[in-house]
This record gives sequence, C-alpha cells and structure tokens, in this order.
Amino acid sequence: MTTETAIKNKPRKNALVMFIHKMGSPPWFYNFSGKLVPWLWAIFCSLAAWALYLGLFKAPADYLQGESFRIMYLHVPSAWMSMMIYTSMAIMGFIALVWRIRIVEVLAMCSAPVGAAFTLVALASGSLWGRPTWGTYWVWDARLTSELVLLFLYLGVIGLYNAIDEPRKAARAACLLAIVGAVNLPIIHYSVKWWNTLHQGSSIGTSGNSIHPSMLWPLLYMAIAFKLYYGANLLSRARLKLLKQDHRKRWVQDLLAKENQ
Amino acid sequence: MSHTPFILASYLISTAVLLWAALAPVFNKRGLLQQLKARQARMDKTQ
Repeated sequence: MTTETAIKNKPRKNALVMFIHKMGSPPWFYNFSGKLVPWLWAIFCSLAAWALYLGLFKAPADYLQGESFRIMYLHVPSAWMSMMIYTSMAIMGFIALVWRIRIVEVLAMCSAPVGAAFTLVALASGSLWGRPTWGTYWVWDARLTSELVLLFLYLGVIGLYNAIDEPRKAARAACLLAIVGAVNLPIIHYSVKWWNTLHQGSSIGTSGNSIHPSMLWPLLYMAIAFKLYYGANLLSRARLKLLKQDHRKRWVQDLLAKENQ
Repeated sequence: MSHTPFILASYLISTAVLLWAALAPVFNKRGLLQQLKARQARMDKTQ
C-alpha cells in the first residue's frame, strides 16, 4: 500500500470529535468563545426583554395571587437554573476528575459563582413572593431549606477552590465536593412530594401543566434567556481564568502583543 | 396589601445580583490585562 492510499483509507474523525478536541486547546477555546459571547449576550438581552414585557404587561393577574405572581418570571427560571447549573457542574467535575481535561475543570469552577447568583435570586425573590402569599418571608420547610443548602454548597465549592494555591489541585478538591453535593439535587426536586411543605408542588411537568398559555410562554422565554445568560457568563469567566492561569505562556504573550499594536 | 413593593424589590435585587455576576469578569479582565501589559512593558525596558 502506498502512502497516498494509506492516507486516503485512514478513517476520518467525526466533526464533533474534532470540535471537542479543538475545544481542549486553551488558545482555540479563548478565540472561539470570544466570538460567541457577544452573540449570547445580545440574544439574552432581547429574549429577556421580550419575556418581561409579556410577563409584566401582557399576562393577566392571577385569580388567587393577584399581581404578586409576576415574581414567578424571575423566581421559577432562576430556581431551575440553580439546579441545572449544579448538575452540569457536578458532571463537568466528574469528567475533570476522570479524564483530567483542564478546560472542563475551568468550566466547572466558573459555573459555581453563576449558580450561586441564580440560587441567591431564587431565594430572595421567593422570600419576597412568600410575604404577600404566605404571610411570611421565610419558613424552614423542606424546599426552602434544601435550596439554602444548595447556596451553601456553591459557596463551599467557591471557598474550597480559592483556599488552595495550586489551581489544578484546588479544582480537583472542589470538583469532588461538587460531585458529593449533587445528592442534594433530588432532595430539592422531590422535597414537595416527600414532605408536607408550604411551598407548592410544580405546576409544569411532563404530564401537563396548570398554567394558562398567556402566563406560561413568558416563563419559558425567560428560562431560555437565563440559559443564554449562563452560557455567556460562564464563557466570560472561563476566558478570564485561562488568561490568569496561562499568563506566562506564549499564546497569552502573543495576544498581549497583538493588543498593544 | 399592595403587591407592588414586593414585585419591585424582587426585580431590583435580582437585577443587581445578575448584573454584578455579569460585570465582575469584565472588570477583573480589564484589571488583569492592565497588570500583564505593565509587566510586559517593564520586561521590555529591562531587556
């Protein structure tokens, strides 16, 4: 077999596999995400503005809760995000621990502050929604307490990562904590079924939902907008972390030289 | 009971938290780039 035929017969790598391989390279990831971030922010802003317009001005008031139900457009998507981000952080933590991929490690660690921000929004907006509907800002019921535990887990991951000087060692320890903390996720989700809680059960599910479409669509738009926010914020943080970690490497020096010109 | 203060407060707090989370990496990056550029300039001077 000649070299030419050997090259021709060589199995070609799948485009997705090639893309994942390229994403593992910090300079390639930095450039690619730099192009993606402004688009994500732009689509997030437009979608969030549209969702809030529909939710705050077009949707009718709830027959039981009155106008206070409009807090739902922040509270529900941010509570979903708090759990989704933790799930993805734990999965990325697992991948980082098993395959030692640095970009995944960085992404897992950069997810924690964004997740903590969404958890804080879910807790604060929920508390402010609770006062007019339940008559209290806070009760130690299962859903609220497990969501508060989630915030502490996020803070624990951030704290542990920052407590160790060597970034890769720190990431490994924090990834392990993230994986262990994932046990809290089913507790949050099923808390309203397993225990008698003041917090209502879910109104949206696979078996149907009890929300009128005029109220439901803005909620779904907001949920998509928050996912874009997470994407944009995560990539911005990951780019910064890579710059910090690689500041002595050639690609960062070249980048700085290019910016100086 | 008027619900407006609760709605306004929740939107204000959420906007503040999400805005802070979004802007923190932008400000940190600006600071880091300035630091790195200053260091490179110092190194160029000494060479």
